[in-house]
Amino acid sequence: MKKTTRIAAVAALAASALALSACAPSAPPEAGGGEATASSETLTIATTTDVVNYNPLIGNSRSDYWITNLMYPHLLSIADDGSKEAQVATKWGYVDETTGYYEIRDDLSWSDGEKLTAEDVAWTMNAVKQDQPSGTFYGQLANFESAEAVSDTRVEIQLTQPDSSIVEEIGFWGNVVPQHVFEKADSVANFPNDGSDGGWVSAGPYVLTDVQVGQSYSMDRVDDYPLIEGGTPSSAKVVYRVFPDINTEILALQSGEVDVIANALPPAQVKTLQNTPGIEVEESVGLGYAHMTYNMTKPDLAKVEVRQALAHAVDYDAIRKVVLQDQAVSTGSSPLMPVLADYYDKSIKEYKFDTDLSRELMEKAGYTADGSGMFPVSFRLIYSLQDSVTSQWATLVKDSAAKAGITIELQGTERNTYLAQTNAGDFDIYAGNFAIMDDPVTNMTLAYLPDGAINYSYVDDPELNELITTASATTDKDEKIKLMQEAAAIVNENVYDNIMYTQNLYFAHSDKWTGFVSKPSELLSIVNPISVASAHLK
Amino acid sequence: MSLWSFVLRRFGRGILTIWFAVTVTFLLLRLLPGDPALAVASPNMTDEAREALLTQYGLNQPLIVQYGLYLWQLVQGNLGVSFTQSIPVLDVLMQRLPWTLLLTGTALVFTVLVGVPLGVLAAARRGTGWDRLVQIVGVTGQSLFVPSVGVLLLFTFGLTLGWFPIGGAYTNGTYGGEWYLSVIQHLVLPATSLVLIQLGSYVLTMRSTLIDALGEDYTTLAHANGMPPRRVLWKHALRNALLPTTTLIGLQLGFLVGGAVLTETVFAYPGIGRGIFEAVTQLDFPVLQGAFLMLALTVVVINMLTDLVYGLLDPRVKTS
Amino acid sequence: MSAMKGERMSSPTDSSTDTGAGPDAGTTAGVDPAETAAATDAATGQPADASENAERDRAAVASTGAEPVATESLRASAATWRAFRKEPLGLLALAVMAVLVFVAVAAPLLAPYPGSYGDTVLEGPTGAHWFGTDSLGRDVFGEVIWGTQQSLLVAVLASLIAIAVGTLVAVVGAYFRKLDGPISVLVDLMLSLPVLPLMILIAALVGPSTTTIILVVAAFSWPEVTRIVRSQALTVVGLPYVDAARLMTTSPAWIITKHIIPAVTPVIVVSVVVTASRAVLSAAGLAFLGLGDPNTWSWGRILYEAQQSGAMSSAWWLTLFPSLAILALVLSATLLSIAYNDARNPKSRRR
Repeated sequence: MKKTTRIAAVAALAASALALSACAPSAPPEAGGGEATASSETLTIATTTDVVNYNPLIGNSRSDYWITNLMYPHLLSIADDGSKEAQVATKWGYVDETTGYYEIRDDLSWSDGEKLTAEDVAWTMNAVKQDQPSGTFYGQLANFESAEAVSDTRVEIQLTQPDSSIVEEIGFWGNVVPQHVFEKADSVANFPNDGSDGGWVSAGPYVLTDVQVGQSYSMDRVDDYPLIEGGTPSSAKVVYRVFPDINTEILALQSGEVDVIANALPPAQVKTLQNTPGIEVEESVGLGYAHMTYNMTKPDLAKVEVRQALAHAVDYDAIRKVVLQDQAVSTGSSPLMPVLADYYDKSIKEYKFDTDLSRELMEKAGYTADGSGMFPVSFRLIYSLQDSVTSQWATLVKDSAAKAGITIELQGTERNTYLAQTNAGDFDIYAGNFAIMDDPVTNMTLAYLPDGAINYSYVDDPELNELITTASATTDKDEKIKLMQEAAAIVNENVYDNIMYTQNLYFAHSDKWTGFVSKPSELLSIVNPISVASAHLK
Repeated sequence: MSLWSFVLRRFGRGILTIWFAVTVTFLLLRLLPGDPALAVASPNMTDEAREALLTQYGLNQPLIVQYGLYLWQLVQGNLGVSFTQSIPVLDVLMQRLPWTLLLTGTALVFTVLVGVPLGVLAAARRGTGWDRLVQIVGVTGQSLFVPSVGVLLLFTFGLTLGWFPIGGAYTNGTYGGEWYLSVIQHLVLPATSLVLIQLGSYVLTMRSTLIDALGEDYTTLAHANGMPPRRVLWKHALRNALLPTTTLIGLQLGFLVGGAVLTETVFAYPGIGRGIFEAVTQLDFPVLQGAFLMLALTVVVINMLTDLVYGLLDPRVKTS
Repeated sequence: MSAMKGERMSSPTDSSTDTGAGPDAGTTAGVDPAETAAATDAATGQPADASENAERDRAAVASTGAEPVATESLRASAATWRAFRKEPLGLLALAVMAVLVFVAVAAPLLAPYPGSYGDTVLEGPTGAHWFGTDSLGRDVFGEVIWGTQQSLLVAVLASLIAIAVGTLVAVVGAYFRKLDGPISVLVDLMLSLPVLPLMILIAALVGPSTTTIILVVAAFSWPEVTRIVRSQALTVVGLPYVDAARLMTTSPAWIITKHIIPAVTPVIVVSVVVTASRAVLSAAGLAFLGLGDPNTWSWGRILYEAQQSGAMSSAWWLTLFPSLAILALVLSATLLSIAYNDARNPKSRRR
């Protein structure tokens, strides 16, 4: 007995000792005296996933976005109503129809001492256009031709055709990366930016210094960050810690091991945590929407009555009340959500939940119910199982449709299968959501024009196409709003899209901390650079 | 059979095992549905961008060419580059492997330390209340659902009592001795839950092997020689009963390395099992291939070690 | 000798056809990821068991000559049952199993199928909702009851498939010696695959559904069955009465069904229970990782939804009841197989 145990023990100990000594961190050199206003505190933030890629031009997951956001600033930020705010850029707009410009701050520099100039901005845009990295940034560059730094603080971009949204969209979605670091790579599309070549360089409030995959990402303060009051971030360190299970994450917040949970709380937990001593819950307005689209390439769904019947067979109130715990707002079944105050059109009303009306519409479309009251149709609704809110309301949609005599077959799949199905149009009904739909023209271009990347209803309506293309070239805001409202009315009437709600999001943090600045959507929430840099102990 | 031919045969079998695991993984990834380009990119990617990604990943070539290239790279010791992280697969795996070894190794040592004596106790007093109690404890342990136990342990010892930290492998910002202490503190709860669920196998194996061994001739002989029963139990029978236990250790360690996904998820432990799960969700083919290769390698190496230990332990070998 | 012994330990494929599987049967436990599936170890409960029985059977055969197997096995089962009745744990386990099967079959009588939502969310156990409500206000009692049905279905079907395939492969291998070599190698290779990670991979790629889960669990369980059954079958094939049968008929199917299958049945019985309970844990594990069937209630799905809604620690009833159900099934299955083994084994019977 002793022998085996001893052998096993020795083997295990030897292996672990070896492994551990490889992992053991060495103490950092003592830092010099801190700033008077800044603290020596560490802000610990919990997230559910690891960083997949440190290159902000590639990364697509939440953690990637949150962490790289603290190092690679955006030209523009966003307000609660979707309008853009100054960040690195102080002024932006159009020189003429096919030329846009950004004026940038002159007081920003990278953490290695290099100045952040218009050259960095222009180089980033051109590199993304050329190398086509897979992130969101490249998707915004459809009408972009090239960028040029006309001075140290001014960038001008050339467009292939008039596009009145692109300046703001690029400014909001695109990061600025340091040319002197990223240009060493052959292509920004496969540059890992994993710090293996002398560490990271940041122009944000913090710079990544240490990574333990699966466990933590440690970031140190960059002393000079002019975007906040005082010019110096408050906490000395920010540590992102990975908790794959949200239950463990909540326990860690309660025990004080983490100070903030970066991901939005599940709706049912908001009330519980609001009532938990030691925890405060902040609200972020949603700027996106959840929706269902009906695949119009299918003969049944090509009929407008069938789509209307389906739209009237959804108990929207129940979904918002039960699944979302009243944390969502109706969009009035229009792509122009109330949160986009300038665009919102009160006259467009939500589809009424009325199964009798649905039955009438089905009969009008030429279907006859059988003895058990069911129509001879069956639709396959796809959703991602990783999206827990959608997974929950999918069942409600199925049950209420059954009341209207329409069979819906649920097909929840793993995210990758779902994306593949979506891409291939392999569905009758698609359910999903978008985190930020800040600019109606851009969104409608993607969602309703025949070759749009997210045109999941495969709609091709000449009248709608005309309105969207005209709006896209229109710089006059009032005119643009009018066109968008007309387009939204068409989408609503024909059920080209069934937009159900905008979810407001809730984020929990320890009540020892204060000073968070909440921004819309889960991407920014209370872990946007300004908020993280301003948060401090009470 | 000479020692060398034995070693060669074992080695050949090891290579075959690894080849099989590698090939199964390769084929599963490519023949089952799933498009890595979609998993990586944002939904509004153009078709050309998608094609470019597939070309970059080498997934546009015929299957047989991909397979040939893959094996050729493998022979040269090249595991490829991660699709999503753009860094070598070996680096991706080595970031997590040490923690997995630490966690499973620790759990294993404690399982054996607790399980073997319990098994002996049950066998020595078989049919009594002790026997039943030990069986029930062992069997209950292995019937538990890991995440439920995990949350219970975290809630009780992490939050309510505050004895142990919640999640992670160590405390950030600790160095030297303090760091090692924090590593141990973080290890306690996940290791406990692994010990709980593994314990049963050892207890029951030990118990039933001993029951048989106690009946075998040479123990009877020892009785006849006038050795005290307790010594017979511990010395002879136990030594014999350890053989299957050794095999059990070998097999379980091999599979624990990749199989502790649930434990690692709940306790937020940065191990390889969780890494594999994430690679699955990202359809990161090279990382998955590398991970499965590494698991196969672990199994082969541990099997060889087990054989070695087995030879050392078998009493019949010594007498012959 | 040391080398031979070592080889046999870790690879049951070796040509040692004598008493065979002693240690092999004992190692079945290790084959699965201890996490989801430690239940296999029931077989471990009796590691020396197979060889034990082989010897016993040989002795029995020797004493009864070439008597038809049926009478002998009847007598043996009667003896087993007499011994089993004296095992309180075994009887208790049998009762729990019976209750679970009843719940699964009578689910429609016990609780209405859980609706899509209810009035009060995350409410603790009350008179109206015995097991409380979940984050959509659905009745957890109903979910557990209906979950029993799906969980048992997965368990039974997965283990039946695994047993059918595993036994067939084992028996064919044992009977046709030429096939035994390749089959042994294949089984050995299958057993060295990392089971849980592969299950995750396949379930994620193929798409989660009850069918997928059943097939995936079965696909990774049959080699173990083959391993256990094979060693038993090999001993039987080597016995005089099978040789005699070979002289009397040319139909291998007849010999296999008449002589070999009955002889390996006791081993199969244990395997069924063990594989079934392991299937439950595996299915729950997959469901917890989001790879379960989203359209049918299962114990794993209740736990998964509790996890997704972040309610596992604050709403204890969401975690407790499905976990207890899993515990009850796996525990009773394991105890049952131990008791059955003990009852069959004359050595542990003798007290």
